[in-house]
Amino acid sequence: MKLHYYPGCTLKEKTTALDISTREAMKRLDIELVEPEGWTCCGAEYPLTEEKIVGLAAPIRVLRQVREEGGDVVVTTCSFCYAVLKRANRAIQQDPLKHKRINAYLRDDIKINEWTKEKTTGFEDYNGEVKVLHLLEYLRDRVGYPRIKSRLKRDLKGLPIAPYYGCRLLRPADEMNMDEPDSPRVFEEFLEAVGCKAVDYPFKQECCGSYLSVSLPAAATEASYRVLRSARMNEAKAIAVTCPLCFYNLDHRQEAVKETFLDFPGLPVLFFTQLLAWALGVDKALLGLKEHSVAADGLFDAHQAAEVRS
Amino acid sequence: MTAPKKKKEKRIGLFVCHCGVNIAGVVDVEKVAETLKDYPGVSFSTNYVYMCSDPGQQMIIDTIKEKHLDGIIVAACSPTLHEKTFQEAARLAGLNPYQIEIANIREQDSWVHTDGARATKKAIKIVKSHVEKALQNENLEPIKVDVTKRALVIGGGISGLQAALDIADHGYEVVLVEKNPSIGGKMIQLSETFPTLDCSQCILTPKMVEVSRHPRIRLLTYHEVDSISGFVGNFKVRIRKKPRYVDERLCNLCGECEKVCPQIVPDEFNMGLSFRKAIYMPFPQAIPGTYTLDAEHCLGLSPVRCGKCKDVCDKKAIDYDMKESFIEEEVGAIVVATGYDLYTMQALGEYGGEKYEDVINGLEFERILSASGPTGGVVRRPSDGKIPKSVVFVQCSGSRDTEKHNPYCSKICCMYTAKHAMLYKHRVPDGQATVFYIDVRTGGKAFDEFYQRAVEEDKVLYIRGKVSKIFKEGDKLIVWGADTLTGKKVEVEADMVVLAMAMVKADGIMDLLKKLKISTDINGFLAEAHPKLRPVESLNAGFYLAGCAQGPKDIPEAVAQASAAAAKVGDLFAQKELIHEPTVVPVNDELCSGCGICIAVCPYDARSLDPERGVAVVNEILCEGCGACAAACPSGAAQQRNQTDEQIFSMLRAMLRE
Amino acid sequence: MFEPQIMCFICKWCTATAADMAGTSRMHYAPNNVNMRVMCSSRIDPQHILYAFKQGADGVFIGGCHPGDCHYVEGNYKTLRRITLFKIMLQDLGIDPRRLRLEWISAAEGKKYAETMDEFTEQVRAMGPLQLNEKALTSEVTKDE
Repeated sequence: MKLHYYPGCTLKEKTTALDISTREAMKRLDIELVEPEGWTCCGAEYPLTEEKIVGLAAPIRVLRQVREEGGDVVVTTCSFCYAVLKRANRAIQQDPLKHKRINAYLRDDIKINEWTKEKTTGFEDYNGEVKVLHLLEYLRDRVGYPRIKSRLKRDLKGLPIAPYYGCRLLRPADEMNMDEPDSPRVFEEFLEAVGCKAVDYPFKQECCGSYLSVSLPAAATEASYRVLRSARMNEAKAIAVTCPLCFYNLDHRQEAVKETFLDFPGLPVLFFTQLLAWALGVDKALLGLKEHSVAADGLFDAHQAAEVRS
Repeated sequence: MTAPKKKKEKRIGLFVCHCGVNIAGVVDVEKVAETLKDYPGVSFSTNYVYMCSDPGQQMIIDTIKEKHLDGIIVAACSPTLHEKTFQEAARLAGLNPYQIEIANIREQDSWVHTDGARATKKAIKIVKSHVEKALQNENLEPIKVDVTKRALVIGGGISGLQAALDIADHGYEVVLVEKNPSIGGKMIQLSETFPTLDCSQCILTPKMVEVSRHPRIRLLTYHEVDSISGFVGNFKVRIRKKPRYVDERLCNLCGECEKVCPQIVPDEFNMGLSFRKAIYMPFPQAIPGTYTLDAEHCLGLSPVRCGKCKDVCDKKAIDYDMKESFIEEEVGAIVVATGYDLYTMQALGEYGGEKYEDVINGLEFERILSASGPTGGVVRRPSDGKIPKSVVFVQCSGSRDTEKHNPYCSKICCMYTAKHAMLYKHRVPDGQATVFYIDVRTGGKAFDEFYQRAVEEDKVLYIRGKVSKIFKEGDKLIVWGADTLTGKKVEVEADMVVLAMAMVKADGIMDLLKKLKISTDINGFLAEAHPKLRPVESLNAGFYLAGCAQGPKDIPEAVAQASAAAAKVGDLFAQKELIHEPTVVPVNDELCSGCGICIAVCPYDARSLDPERGVAVVNEILCEGCGACAAACPSGAAQQRNQTDEQIFSMLRAMLRE
Repeated sequence: MFEPQIMCFICKWCTATAADMAGTSRMHYAPNNVNMRVMCSSRIDPQHILYAFKQGADGVFIGGCHPGDCHYVEGNYKTLRRITLFKIMLQDLGIDPRRLRLEWISAAEGKKYAETMDEFTEQVRAMGPLQLNEKALTSEVTKDE
């Protein structure tokens, strides 16, 4: 089946590993990921400015395009995109003023017919028809762990992985409504479903400092260190993330971390979809492991996982 | 039952009051009296400067007698002020008090309008309506009902015990029902109480003994209320006696049974910090002083029996064949003193209460502090028995939280946290006690001084800020909080954490309340009749509230409330009989078709269907006279006494027709 | 100028006390209303309301306790349901449902009572006289009879 998929800018530029491994993994589940045509940047952050309406036009346009293409669900693997799209979707359903203004902005977009190249204007109002789901959510609720388990080709033998939720996935809780924000289970359940052991450690939702990467890099270094250290102390072999910005910060920053905190030997950072793909039998070369700053290859050697007799 | 009365030729007297210039300054009172002199039904009409004065009242009394009046209208101030005054005057003149009508031409006319002509016109309309009502008013007698002068107290904690003692000391019999094997409630689990640091068990056990010895208190422990029927002054209560499997009259507390019992059960009295046997005594001073066999955890009573305890019982007190039985009691008043529970630590996952043994709640810490507790009064942490050198206390755990937990303040936590911190420092002088707080609420007598002692003498560190997370790192618990006064994040390494969990409604209370049919507030605590002026009564007549069942409070307040409830019960019992307002809604059998709509509509369950005659019947004592059934009745069979539909129509006609 | 007649049914425990309070505080309002005190707003039957209109009321007002505060536990909820449905009926009967007003006024809200009386009086004044009886007598249907 075809499923609409919003990759977001970072997946296409900086962290293509997430994009590739996602596609490959979903193929193994008989799902073809389709990007909405002409998708744009979502804005990366739900508007924090005084002007709270204009910033929603871009994400709503993306969702409207999904609707135009006949989709009623769009999945994303970037927590930032997920937050923006989902909250924009809610805003347009709940606030009549936002609904009116954003649809007014978008109504006069030009539609070009793919075949006839005919240009038309005037889209119908977007009313929140498309549901926004993070891939983790999609796998939990729409695919179901039993189905994933039945397709596993490799037994990961309880590889201890520390799930890192990051900041965007679960909050604000009443809008995101994905899981219990203070004691979530969705990522742990996913890891268990693909054959890993989910490591419990106290920093799984603590800030990694990526926001301060430019303005106060020392703070970002220390914050990342604390997260990574906690995962290591609890015997994790790697830390798994759901968001390219988490990845970018926790992975690329480890060099700075090692320079500041000399006792820290490093910890590989993985995307959750890399684990999913690997467990579903995807070839190691298609996991995008070359992009990692901290080498993660060792976790994906053949001897680490046994073939599963189906 | 008779058909609605036809208007008879009544002789109505009208007395229009000037109230000085209060009424007369705007309303032409003489004109009102004059205009209505000839209104059909009015036999006498006059005006006077102050009707409520002695001469005014005397005038009314004399006129009623002289003119043989059947009913009177006093057009004056609001009935809330002098209705009783004029009813009394009428009674003295031999007139039934329910033939008095007060027409409010002051608060609702002369005081709110400036146009004298229109105010006068309005006054005339108002008085006319009351004349019409008076013409159809019936003589009514207050309803009298006997009162059973016995009380039921549900709950054997400090509040229940106090209420029972006070009622019994008044001279009335009390039945005290407690679901646990012993009385004592939560207070018996406490170590010391604030602000005196009195030993809790030392001050409570004498009361417990007094209750058990009181000639007028029937103590029923290990019993539960099964159902209640009836109404105020006349309740019938069905009480379930749970089988103890030990005859309390024979048991001599030798303890041999306990020694041989093979079953080990977490001890609820010690909050699960130690173990007991399946046959046990909850605590040494338990009353009644007897062992109890916990059938749920016993190896088996039927068909296979372990039998070890029975074998060693010299007194032959153990009987495995005991069965559940029921008792019926008749009482006139019921005091609900069912206490509270602590909010579950499971709800605060981020504090790790469920995950880490060393994150405990206040009652667990009380047991650790208690000399008769699992550690003999030495402060040890549950996981490894180490004496903690750093203890963090977290106030407001689950209280004052409008988003996820309980919005209210649990009232006692600030005081008992200060107490805990102080007692910890007394026993571990080189330890560090840290308290995270939002506020420190110390409103009682000697309470603030107590808290200052903790800060100044015992050097307890108070940090203003909430705790966001507690987790274990190696041997220590890391507590993350904020210091809002310096604006910094704070991280404390602790050996043990004590959470001041919110006080919530008692577990299992909802089932009981359905049986009692009394209302609760939004948080599940019993609802008082009026938040300010009637704190110990329920809106449901005959039910009284005492203790934490009504809301979080400390021991002195619970005792005060229990005594207050007992006094209210005394009020009820002091009356020879109960007087109930007769302006209720009877059923006219001839018109009633038995549709049952009125039964569904009554909030007091005062109406029921007579299956034989197929008509509705009303219990006039339970009927509060709201009139909801009267409005709902499709056939007009339900008419409110002295405010029937006919009366209302007559009043409307008089008021609105030009 | 047309002076509307407003018939007010006020519950003893809340609205009547508020009306008294308006008096004690000497708050002035239009003298267009006449009050009938009932024990609970749930005593009011649609019959009473229609009768009031028939006898010459241009507007009918019902005052009860705020939801949750009813002295008789749930009377005001019954009133709310009743009036909500009845307003639909009024429309069918050709009476502007705005002529019937249900308001929750607690015993402390004397000011609200006074203001509501003024507001409602003006509202009904703008609607004009109802003249239910007169209209019935002069309508085409009844003329033939």
